[in-house]
Amino acid sequence: MLKNYLKIAWRNLAKNKAYTAINVGGLALGMAVTLIIGLWVEDELTHNKYFTNKDRIAQIFQSQTFNGETGTGPAIPRPLEKAFRDGYMDNFENLVMSSWNNSQYLKYGETSISRTGNFIQREAPDMFDLKILKGEKDGLREVNSIMLNESTANALFGDEDPIGKTIELNSQYDMMVTAVYEDIPVNNSFSETEFMSTWDAYTNSQEWVKNAENSWGNNSFQMFVQIADNTSMDRVTSIIRNVKKELDPDTEEFNPQLFLFPMKDWHLRSNFENGKQVGGRIKYVWLFGIIGAFVLLLACINFMNLSTARSEKRAKEVGIRKSIGSQRNQLINQFLGESFLVVLFAFLIAILLVLVFLSGFNELARKEILFPWGEVNFWLISLGFILFTALLAGSYPALYLSSFRPVDVLKGTFKAGKHSSLPRKILVVFQFTVSVAFIIGTVIVMQQINHAKNRPIGYDREGLVQIPTFSQDFTGKYELMRNEFLASGAVVEMSASSSPTTRIWSNRSGYTWEGKPEGFQEDLAWTAVTHEYASSLNLKIVQGRDFSREFPSDSSAVLLNETAVKYLGLENPVGMFLKDDAEEDPDEPLKIIGVVEDMIAQSPYEPVKQGMYVFDKYGMGAYYNLRLNPKQSASQNMAIVERIFVEHFPNIPFQFDFVDEQYGEKFAAEERIGRLSGIFTALAILISCLGLFGLTSFVAEQRTKEIGVRKVLGASVFNVWNMLSRDFLKLVTISCFIAMPISYYVMNGWLQEYPYRVILKWWIFALAMIGAMLVTVLTVSFQAIRAAKANPVKSLRTE
Amino acid sequence: MLLQLKNIFKWVNSGGQRIFLLKDINLNVHEGEFISVMGPSGSGKSTLLNVIGMLDAFDEGEYQFLDESVHDLREKNRANLYKEYIGFVFQSYHLLDDLTVKENLEMPLLYKKVKGPERKAMVADMLDRFNIVGKKDLFPAQLSGGQQQLVGIARALISSPKLILADEPTGNLNSKQGEEIMELFKQLNQEGVTIIQVTHSEKNAAYGSRTINLLDGRMV
Repeated sequence: MLKNYLKIAWRNLAKNKAYTAINVGGLALGMAVTLIIGLWVEDELTHNKYFTNKDRIAQIFQSQTFNGETGTGPAIPRPLEKAFRDGYMDNFENLVMSSWNNSQYLKYGETSISRTGNFIQREAPDMFDLKILKGEKDGLREVNSIMLNESTANALFGDEDPIGKTIELNSQYDMMVTAVYEDIPVNNSFSETEFMSTWDAYTNSQEWVKNAENSWGNNSFQMFVQIADNTSMDRVTSIIRNVKKELDPDTEEFNPQLFLFPMKDWHLRSNFENGKQVGGRIKYVWLFGIIGAFVLLLACINFMNLSTARSEKRAKEVGIRKSIGSQRNQLINQFLGESFLVVLFAFLIAILLVLVFLSGFNELARKEILFPWGEVNFWLISLGFILFTALLAGSYPALYLSSFRPVDVLKGTFKAGKHSSLPRKILVVFQFTVSVAFIIGTVIVMQQINHAKNRPIGYDREGLVQIPTFSQDFTGKYELMRNEFLASGAVVEMSASSSPTTRIWSNRSGYTWEGKPEGFQEDLAWTAVTHEYASSLNLKIVQGRDFSREFPSDSSAVLLNETAVKYLGLENPVGMFLKDDAEEDPDEPLKIIGVVEDMIAQSPYEPVKQGMYVFDKYGMGAYYNLRLNPKQSASQNMAIVERIFVEHFPNIPFQFDFVDEQYGEKFAAEERIGRLSGIFTALAILISCLGLFGLTSFVAEQRTKEIGVRKVLGASVFNVWNMLSRDFLKLVTISCFIAMPISYYVMNGWLQEYPYRVILKWWIFALAMIGAMLVTVLTVSFQAIRAAKANPVKSLRTE
Repeated sequence: MLLQLKNIFKWVNSGGQRIFLLKDINLNVHEGEFISVMGPSGSGKSTLLNVIGMLDAFDEGEYQFLDESVHDLREKNRANLYKEYIGFVFQSYHLLDDLTVKENLEMPLLYKKVKGPERKAMVADMLDRFNIVGKKDLFPAQLSGGQQQLVGIARALISSPKLILADEPTGNLNSKQGEEIMELFKQLNQEGVTIIQVTHSEKNAAYGSRTINLLDGRMV
C-alpha cells in the first residue's frame, strides 16, 4: 500500500514538473532559511556553554544612582574583595578579582606579538575549568606566571615546548609560562582571553592599582564568583546587596547596589535601564526566530494553496479510490504521505542549500557555526521539524481532498464551491501581509542606520590613525615621537589621549564649582589629552582657547564639551574652576580654558555625554592620534609611520587602527541585523511570489474555457490580463493595509530604543505598497498574458 | 436474496420545493440476476445505481444488503461492505491515470489488505483472463477506450464481488467494442455474478434477464 502511495505521489510530482519545482523549491528555500536561523539561535542560546560551571558563575555588578539616574555596570572597587573574603565566603565556592581584558605585548626571543588577556586570581583556571593542554591547571600560583592559550603559545614558541620558558610582558616584566590551555571558542564571553597572568603581578606593578586597595570610590576592577552549591544567585544577591553601602559611608549617597549577574545572562540579557535588567541581544534571537517561523509558514502556505488549488484534478482520483473501497483516513494518510515525501525531498535540498550558504552566512553574522552532522539532537529535531512541516503543509489538503464525495466527482458534476477559494485567498493575504511588513521593517532599519551614520560626529575621522601605546616603552617618549612623525611629513598633527576617540574609558565626579546646586551629583566623561588633541582631531573650539604650549599653567587646565557646559549649568564657563572636593590629597583646581564641540565617542544613537578633557600631565596617554598628511596616500603615510615606529620601538609589534573604521564598528551590529533581515525579506518575497506564480498558472488553466469563450466573443489580451490580475491585486492591496499598521506599531517600538532616531515617514509605507503591487503584477502577468494569448479554438476543443 | 430496496425516496430541496430524484422504489435483486435499468435522461437511473452501490445516500426507506441494514450502517462499515461485495464499472472507465494497468488492477486488493504474493497471482490471473498481459505496464492513456473499459471491468472483478454495478459501460465505446463488453458481462453472469447495468440501448438491455424502467424517479 505504501509503495502504491509513493508511486502515485512520485508520478504525480514527476508529471507536474513546474508545480513540483515551485512546491519543493519554495519549501526547500523556506526550510533552509529556518534551518540557518535555527542554527544561529542555537548558537546564541548556547553561548558560554563551554564552561562546565556556567550555571553557578556570575560577575559582580553594581548599580549607582547619580541625580536620580541609575547606572549599572561591572566595575567594582578593590576593597570589596577583602570585605567578601572576610565575611561572605560561605556563599562562594570561588571568587577571583580580575583586570579588564587588554591588549598587551608578549615577547619571546625575537618574536614579539600583541595579544589580549587579563590579570586574574589563582582560582580562575579551576573556576572556568580551562582545558589544559600542557603544564598545570594551578598555573597562577606564583606571582610571575602566565598561562597562554594554544594559538598564542604557537605564535610565540612554534614547535618549542613553552612550559617553563620566560617571556617578556610589555617589555616590563618577566613571566614564566606555566600552562597552555585550549583556545576558548568564539561562542564565549572569554573568547578573547588569549592569556592569563596573575592578579598580584598587576597590583604590585601598577601604582594606581596598588593605591586602589583601600579606595571604595575607585570602581576600576571586576570580580567573578562561583556560588556555593547549596545556594542560589538570588539568595547570594540578597545577602551582598548592601555590602558596599554599609562599609563605605562616603558612597552611600549614590546608593550602591551590588548583585550577581549570572553567566547565562551575560550574552543575551546584558542591558540595564535604571538598575533593572531589560534584555539585550535576546530581542534579536526573538526577532530572527519569528522571521524564521514566518518564512517557513509562507513556504507551507504555498504548499497548501497549490495542493488545494489542484484538488479538482485529484478529485477524480479520490472518487475512484473511494468507490473501490478506500476509507477516508486511508486517503488522509495518502495525502499526508505525499506531503511528507515532498517535505523530505525539500529538506534534503534545504540541507544542501545550508551547506552551500553557511560560510557566507557566518561571515555576515560573524559566527563560526558548523553544520552539526554528529549531533543526534539536531537530527531528532529535524525529523520533528519535517513531520511538523509535513503536517502543517499537508493537513489542509489532506482533509479537504479526502472529504470529496465520490458520486459528485465521478458524475463529473464536481465543481469547487463558490467559497472554496476563500481559504486560499486568506492565505495569500497572510503571505503578502508578512512580506509587506518585512519590506517596511527592513527599509526602516536601513534608514535608521543611515540616519545615525549621517549624524555629524564633531570631529574629522577620515585620515585619522590611532596607535596603541600600552607598554612602558612609550613612557616619556611622546614629544620625541611627535617631532619625528611631524618631521617625516607623513603626519601633519599628532596628540595622545588616555582613551581612543571612539570610546570613553573613564568617568569622574567629586568636583565643586561656583554655583553648584546643592546635592548635585555630577558624572562626567573624563579623558586626559595632550596639547594638540583638538587640532589633531579637527575638533572645533567654540569658546575660549585650546591647550597651549605657551602657558605652562595649562597643565591644570580643562576643556569641556558643549553638553557639559549645559549640564553643569555654567553661564560663562571660560575662566571658572572645577575644584576637586576630596578631603585628603586633593588635585589642583582645574581651570576651564575653553569649550569644544560635542564629539560622538560612544553610541551614535545616544545623545553625547557631558565630558571633560584634562591636560595629561602624567603621560597617561594610551593612544597616539595621528592626523595623516592628506596630500599623500594613506599607504604611503603609514609606511613612513611604521618605519619610524619600528626604529624607536623594535620590541613592540606595530599596530594601528583607522578611526573611521573603528567608528564604523559602532554600526556593525545594526548593519548585520539590517543586512540579514534584508536577505530574509527578499527570500520571503520570493517564496510568496513563487506561490502566487503557481496560483496564477492554476487559475489560468482552470479558466481556460472561460478565457476561450471570452476571446471568441471579442475580449482583447488586455481584457483577459486585467481579469486575471485584478483578483490578485485586490488581495495584495488588502495585505498592504493590514501590514502597514502592524509594521508601524512594531517598528515605532523598535525605534524608541534609540534616542537619536529617524522619523517614520508615510512614503516608506507607500513605497512598500507600490513595490508589492509591482512584484504582484509582474508575477501574475507572465501567466495571465500567456493564457490570454492562447488560441481559443484550441482551448475550447479540449473541453 | 442479494439485496432489497423498500420504499426508497431521495430528494433535493430547491427553492423551497422538494424535487424527487427517487420516488418509492421497491426492488428485490436475487443472486445471479442480470438487471438492466432503462429510462430517459434524468429519470434517476444513475442515482438508483449509486444508492445501490452505497456511494450515495437516500432520504427515506430501507435497504437490506445480504441481510445487513445499510441505512443503519456508519460510513466506515458501509465502505467495508461495498469493498467486499460490489464492483463498479463506469462509463468513462475512471482508471487512475498515474498508475499502470497492473497497478490499477492491484489497487482494490490493496484496500482489502490482500497479501503480496496472493495479490500478484490474482492480478496475473485477471490479466490472463482478459488477454491483456501484454498491456500490463502501459498507462491508461496508452490504451483504446475498449481496452480501458476492459481494464475497468477487470478491476471491478478482481476482488470477486457478488455484484457488479455498471453505469452505461458502453456509453463511450463504438458498437463493436460495446458488443464485446456486453458479451463479457453475459459470460460473467453465467459464471454467477449478479449484474445491474444502466443503459440507454434496448439492444444492450436485452442481454439482461430483467429490465426495470424508470421515469421521473419512479419505477414504471
